[in-house]
Amino acid sequence: MIVTEAARQLLEDCGVDRERLALEWASAAEAPRFVELITGYVSRIREKGPLGSGPDEIPADVVGRRLKAAVKAAGARKPRTLLGKLAKKMAKEGDYSRDAISKGVKAKVFPAMRSVRIATEVGMILEEGPADLKKLCSDTGASAEELEKILAPMLKKGQISRKKDSFSLSS
Amino acid sequence: MAKENAVTKENEMTQEGFDPKILGFFCHWCCYAAADSAGVSRYQYPPNVRVIRVMCTGRIDARFVIEAFRCGADGVFTGG
Repeated sequence: MIVTEAARQLLEDCGVDRERLALEWASAAEAPRFVELITGYVSRIREKGPLGSGPDEIPADVVGRRLKAAVKAAGARKPRTLLGKLAKKMAKEGDYSRDAISKGVKAKVFPAMRSVRIATEVGMILEEGPADLKKLCSDTGASAEELEKILAPMLKKGQISRKKDSFSLSS
Repeated sequence: MAKENAVTKENEMTQEGFDPKILGFFCHWCCYAAADSAGVSRYQYPPNVRVIRVMCTGRIDARFVIEAFRCGADGVFTGG
């Protein structure tokens, strides 16, 4: 459930409706229940329409790049370690309510996932050519301050370079 | 008669227009067995789910789910 919640929050961050990811239980003896669950779920998705068509969703062509970055973010070392630590802490406390999980993931894991996602996306955008801060903001969906914080270490490491307002990948 | 049914069914599907692509991660011991027994007892359910069997729902990673959406799935159903 913690992993699913992390995936849901990351999906939401990418502009995908969180309800598109379902987690349900049906035991081996519960065929009728399983049929009910699947039928309900498929009709809900049918109502929502294809990926990227929901009211809060971003178009399918942009979401592709964002999800690609998100896959990297979900696999990055820092968020994974944090996820493990959170799971350990929750096991100690013994509170597995949906609310507690959602809050824990949002506070502990999500910021790390988001910053990796944005950093990866910045790299992908700059690969196509130099861009200024405004373009990076609108393309990644991050605020200017957030982006500054992410860009600063990249500049320091020399992964990217800055010429006036425009950023580009260092060759 | 059976053929006619199949034809009307196909028409219904095209009329509805959108046929979602759904990826299902099913636990080998629970949901996968439930799906199997639903098939054996001939319950009807939508054919939109493409199933990947995992040995335990705990095996599923956030990466799998997001990769599924990236590859064009309209929904992911995890069944434990």
